Amino acid sequence: MTHQYELMVILDPEIDERTVAPSLDKFLNVIRNDGGTIDNVDIWGRRRLAYEINKKTEGIYAVVQLTANASATVELDRQLKLSEAVMRTKVLRAEEAIAQVAEATKAAEEKAARKAAAPAKPSAAAPAEAADKAAE
Amino acid sequence: MAGKSSGDRRKPLRNAKGGKNAAPAKAIRVGVIDYKDVATLRKFISERGKIRARRITGVSVQEQRLIARAVKNAREMALLPYAGSGR
Repeated sequence: MTHQYELMVILDPEIDERTVAPSLDKFLNVIRNDGGTIDNVDIWGRRRLAYEINKKTEGIYAVVQLTANASATVELDRQLKLSEAVMRTKVLRAEEAIAQVAEATKAAEEKAARKAAAPAKPSAAAPAEAADKAAE
Repeated sequence: MAGKSSGDRRKPLRNAKGGKNAAPAKAIRVGVIDYKDVATLRKFISERGKIRARRITGVSVQEQRLIARAVKNAREMALLPYAGSGR
């Protein structure tokens, strides 16, 4: 049973930023060897932490979207945590977020459809008038 | 206690008409709530880093729950501060 996961890691800021992608990729081989797929890797780069972690005020953030089964994902998380260069990890199931996005877009579409059905609304006309006045 | 003093602080935010727990003038509109979206989540925490109550934010119960969870996840990843004195 595979699921979509989102993995976020905070890496030690002392490591070279150019080595982040290859070293992260090495960890992700755990997923590939298990038949999972890496959908997206987003390296945010150096970012200030909201509070100190291990006496450090900065961290290198990376977000990985992956599809794999639970055991491979747990193993990946375990291996990341063993690494000295990893300050923190978080694995979340991405399905809920995706469902939320779908719901939001659906609601927005419905709203747009309703607006199109009844175009002669005073609230819609008011901003246009204000803009006209501003132009004058 | 702390609850009382914070209640006083929030008074100006309440509806001017003077209802006891009046609904906020306007709820903060949110689309998708994501723990990575720090800019949006900042609207739902106080200066001290506390999660704002629903009577202040005016969002629905379901949304407030999602927001609370997102803020807590963001805190774990040091994207948002934990509640504190704020130095």
